[in-house]
Amino acid sequence: MAEAAESPGDPRTTSPRPLMRDLKAVGKKFMHVLYPRKSNTLLRDWDLWGPLVLCVTLALMLQRGSADNENDGGPQFAEVFVIIWFGAVTITLNSKLLGGNISFFQSLCVLGYCILPLTVALLVCRLVLLAKPGPINFIVRLFVVIVMFAWSIVASTAFLADSQPPNRKALAIYPVFLFYFVISWMILTFAP
Amino acid sequence: MKQALVDDTEDVSLDFGNEEELAFRKAKIRHPLATFFHLFFRVSAIVTYVGCDWFSRSFVGCFVTVLLLLSFDFWSVKNVTGRLMVGLRWWNQVDEDGKSHWIFEARKVSPNNITATEAEARIFWLGLIICPIIWIVFFFSTLFSLKLKWLALVIAGISLQAANLYGYILCKMGGESDISKAAASFLSQTVFQTACPRDFEKPGLEGLEIHKC
Repeated sequence: MAEAAESPGDPRTTSPRPLMRDLKAVGKKFMHVLYPRKSNTLLRDWDLWGPLVLCVTLALMLQRGSADNENDGGPQFAEVFVIIWFGAVTITLNSKLLGGNISFFQSLCVLGYCILPLTVALLVCRLVLLAKPGPINFIVRLFVVIVMFAWSIVASTAFLADSQPPNRKALAIYPVFLFYFVISWMILTFAP
Repeated sequence: MKQALVDDTEDVSLDFGNEEELAFRKAKIRHPLATFFHLFFRVSAIVTYVGCDWFSRSFVGCFVTVLLLLSFDFWSVKNVTGRLMVGLRWWNQVDEDGKSHWIFEARKVSPNNITATEAEARIFWLGLIICPIIWIVFFFSTLFSLKLKWLALVIAGISLQAANLYGYILCKMGGESDISKAAASFLSQTVFQTACPRDFEKPGLEGLEIHKC
């Protein structure tokens, strides 16, 4: 309490309850991804908790193989992890090299949070896969994945496009497109 | 009658308050919970990583557990234990035009303020320094034994712990620009205790030093 009076600072650490603040911030960002609106305040308060949770969830659900097997989906788990984080870092470096006006961690934050629609798509796909396999099954999954893929792209460009100079927007956005495409591909071709 | 009652309760409450505060000031460790958690997550992460093969055969379970422990450790050291145990904090701020600033602060020492105790400070810094070193050892052992699937986890561990270490070192250094000089004097004070305990608290805590970069 005394610290808050001492100096203005990061509201997260001057508040006596940093845990609740951070949890609320994470929840707010998830809401922003679901209803994308241009909002400067969202970008300024970045955190990487959402991307971590989403990444772990995605990696856990994309595993093949049985639990008692020696080779229990280990490589696929680490693969998904590395693809997501390495991909996000590469896109961020790319946008910084193109003269983008966004900081490293902000960009990672946005890209990570916008994986949420694809995680939902994966959940839906797993449920659909419990039903009888066949062309209809595949068409439903394809439709869901395409819709969520478009949602991810829209959500991330709503935040990222503004930070680029106008003539470089396409150059900065196409790696994002590729990134979510690879993840969507992993989701679509998943078979337990 | 009533007056006497009021006087009695007043006396009792005053003494009680003083006693508590005195005990607090004399305690070797003022924030036992923070001290416990500072070490708990780091050490659990290391123990889980090392003992993985004995606890369960599942790579995924172990990976996720260690990663979660490392993340909780990062958050608690950055947001809670640094502030409570040594009065330092650091964070990132993005201003109106999108520029990001890293801010490092050290708490001002004043008679009203409850400052860090020597024991807490020593535990804090030793915990902060030793664990990344252990993770670096893990990195090399993983690399050379070719158990490459663990490499991602070890690299994550090193990054998270080194980030906290670096942040707090910058806070501690405050305005000093010569890293090697600051590191040498700091190491001698922490590990070898050549300086007297009063001096330990001085560097970097003279005023509210805000070091921006």
